Amino acid sequence: MAVLVRSPLPRLRALLQRCWGRMKRGLWPGVFGGQSPPWGPALAVQGLALVPQGINDGGESSTEAPSLLESVVWMAAPKQRRTIEVNRCRRRHPSKLIEIKRNIDVCPECGNLKQKHVLCGYCYTKVKEETRLIRMEIYKKEGGPFNSPTVETVVLYEGEKPTEKDEGKRIIERARKRPSWFVQN
Amino acid sequence: MRLSVAAAISHGRVYRRFGLSPRSRLDLLRNLVTALVRHERIETPWARADEMRGYAERLIDYAKRGDKDERAMRMADFWLTEKDLIHKLFKVLAPRFQPHPGSYTRMLQIPNRDGLDRAKMAVIELKGNPLPPLVRPRRDSDKTLLNQLLKGYRQDAQRAAAS
Repeated sequence: MAVLVRSPLPRLRALLQRCWGRMKRGLWPGVFGGQSPPWGPALAVQGLALVPQGINDGGESSTEAPSLLESVVWMAAPKQRRTIEVNRCRRRHPSKLIEIKRNIDVCPECGNLKQKHVLCGYCYTKVKEETRLIRMEIYKKEGGPFNSPTVETVVLYEGEKPTEKDEGKRIIERARKRPSWFVQN
Repeated sequence: MRLSVAAAISHGRVYRRFGLSPRSRLDLLRNLVTALVRHERIETPWARADEMRGYAERLIDYAKRGDKDERAMRMADFWLTEKDLIHKLFKVLAPRFQPHPGSYTRMLQIPNRDGLDRAKMAVIELKGNPLPPLVRPRRDSDKTLLNQLLKGYRQDAQRAAAS
């Protein structure tokens, strides 16, 4: 029970101090019926209030700051150790396991594994490398940044001549044999 | 009448959020569109490719109007940050896609990125580009049921025509 002391006028304060002294000494039976109740400044604690240490100190401890152990907020903590059986049930529940993938196929071109809706990694790396080399040739031909031409481009490999469809297109030469997977249109 | 919007519900929203702000999202997509027009095939996270696809196809639709059109030129000027690509757009891409009514881009998913984030990546390309093809169109094998039946029908027709 927190005891509040307001700051009154000096005469009122003297009166209150006298009454307080009488109550503490047990000379005011009207308050607690003769028994001396556990007096002392009780500190406000949430939940179960232990008997505070200030009971013996009396009035002096009212000026002390409450110690760390008495103003603690109670928090949830596990009561018992979870057994390994319970732990296994939780850890191996189907919702926690990785789903098995059933959409893995074999790429018909190279024979590596691929997902059905995704491009084959090996074939894509092949195409990416060839694209990179073609782009290097384009860069060499353009000579600098921001020089993209206003005509179409066609890529020709060793020993190939431009057909009549390739009229007016910019020709990029690649110094190798045409790969089997790059069909000339 | 709905007087307040409940938090974390986004039913019916079609545009994804990218970048730091709506303006930043448009700048990001604009860079991607410029890169696509320049290189004709780019590899980017799937969500960005998907978002950018609509903008790229609409830009080509505007370009098909011709470069005399004021609105088309203003669109191209905004969306292509590198100004030599405006010439490429109107002189190369617009004639290339003139016969097609729509769907000028092709978007395919590729294996997840190798870095720590393992992001879902896609490659988006303009159709008719000069680069090597990503996917070879496969004909069904001759041993399938339908092909065997068609082969039998053809042989019967030839025999009937011969006799």
